[in-house]
Amino acid sequence: MSLLKALQYFLREALVNLVRGWKVSLLAILTITVSLLVGGAFLLVSRNLLASVERWRGETRVVLYLQPAASPDVLRRLAAEAGRAPWVAAAEAVSAETARRRFQESFPSLSDLVEGLGDEPLPASIEVALRDPGRRPPELRAWLDTWRRRPEVSMVDDDLEWLRQIETVATLLRGVGIALAGGLLAAAIFTTASVIRLTAYLHHDEIAVLRLVGATEFYIRGPFYAEGFVQGLAGGAVASAALWAAYTLLRLRQPNSLVESLLAAQFLSSAQIAFLVLLGGAAGLTGAVMSLRREAL
Amino acid sequence: MIHFFQVTKRYPGGQTALDRVSFEIARGQFVFLTGASGAGKTSLLRLIFREDVPNEGQILVNGRNVSSIPPSKIPYLRRTIGVVFQDFRLIPRKTVFENVTYLPRILGTDGKAQKKLAYTALRRVGLAHRGNAFPLELSGGEQQRVAIARALINEPEILIADEPTGNLDPDLSWEILRLFLEVNLRGTTVLLATHDRDMIQRVGRRVLTLDAGRLVNDQEIAGSDPPPLEAPPPTAETTAETAAETAEPETP
Repeated sequence: MSLLKALQYFLREALVNLVRGWKVSLLAILTITVSLLVGGAFLLVSRNLLASVERWRGETRVVLYLQPAASPDVLRRLAAEAGRAPWVAAAEAVSAETARRRFQESFPSLSDLVEGLGDEPLPASIEVALRDPGRRPPELRAWLDTWRRRPEVSMVDDDLEWLRQIETVATLLRGVGIALAGGLLAAAIFTTASVIRLTAYLHHDEIAVLRLVGATEFYIRGPFYAEGFVQGLAGGAVASAALWAAYTLLRLRQPNSLVESLLAAQFLSSAQIAFLVLLGGAAGLTGAVMSLRREAL
Repeated sequence: MIHFFQVTKRYPGGQTALDRVSFEIARGQFVFLTGASGAGKTSLLRLIFREDVPNEGQILVNGRNVSSIPPSKIPYLRRTIGVVFQDFRLIPRKTVFENVTYLPRILGTDGKAQKKLAYTALRRVGLAHRGNAFPLELSGGEQQRVAIARALINEPEILIADEPTGNLDPDLSWEILRLFLEVNLRGTTVLLATHDRDMIQRVGRRVLTLDAGRLVNDQEIAGSDPPPLEAPPPTAETTAETAAETAEPETP
């Protein structure tokens, strides 16, 4: 028998077994679906978070806040000094007065809050635009550390710091997702193995006949492997569909919201969907192989 | 065709099923294997189609040393041996046609050729019209005939039967035995285990007698009332197909 014919036979027998034992097969498919749905959801959230981080990274800048006592001359001198660094595209001196005005323009309802105070309530600062905002080479980090140590400077605000923290959270989320999905997938593999073992048990009479008339082990086990693989693929496909449905629902319910822009700006890539489905197939196949290895057919 | 050289089979509990058994069956012979229950008949048959291995001695089947062939080659040995059991071993959820065509399916024979083979095999056992029936819709004798058709579908070189009439009444037993004799007329070597001494006496042929695992008698007897037999010779086409399909190619 050619390999192609054998594969056709395996698939046909697997589908017949799936239909005949649809209740237990459904159980296996659902456990794979749940595990991949959880994994896929974490993947989707972390993908969107990381995409947001990447987007924000291009817009980051550095602000050097001066001590309240710093004079306009000091401000100008330090701004000129900062502007001379090779990685700086522009360094704008923002006086305390300008900072207060910007605050009042940005938050009109709070403008009274800073109006009545005698001295300028906000510090003067230098807004540094970097030539390559998404990168922080070691020399640049050392340069920022130098500014942090200077007596005229009270604080150095680098947007990239909190972006890095979000990035860490996204990576952590992905890790948690992988761990959680891995655990659930192990349970799914166990369930699939049990289902395949049950199917094999129900077919033990036929397996005995096959062996008697001269079927090879590959021919005997093939349909069960195919059954596990098909169950896994089905679980992966259902999980992807459910994930897409949840994603679409979120976008419809909360269009242009922070949640949508942060967590559901884009769906999984086709490669990631294919990965989810194939992961399901691999889990099902693993379950089948495990069950038939443990169980002498 | 089948050679046993000082074959001993002991089971893990220490029970000796066969004790230094030696015999030779030539191609085309019809041989009865008899003895009381527990004499070792089934153990001996199981060794021939490598369902089991001997503890001592050598077994040659069709020139192959059965006890030393690797597990991956066992299927190819079994494709040359038809086996029939007392309990028929038919799959109740499969039709007669499906039960009969297991081997052609394994060999990748196309559907049309499968039907042809099944029809030929079922016609030989007189059940060509019951291909779509399920085993439980058939009588015991008919079920055994389906099992024989399954064993014969690929024109095996050897046909082994373990108490094939054990579950049948005398008339049906006689009918089944006639089938085996007709198969033998076409050149197939037949080894039939039975404890029915009346049947053996009536038919005659060579008889191997086991007692407590030892071969105590090997004699040719003349039948008192052998049945009249008729069987066409195998066609050249069928024989060629058989040889090609049971070889050891890339069959998965």
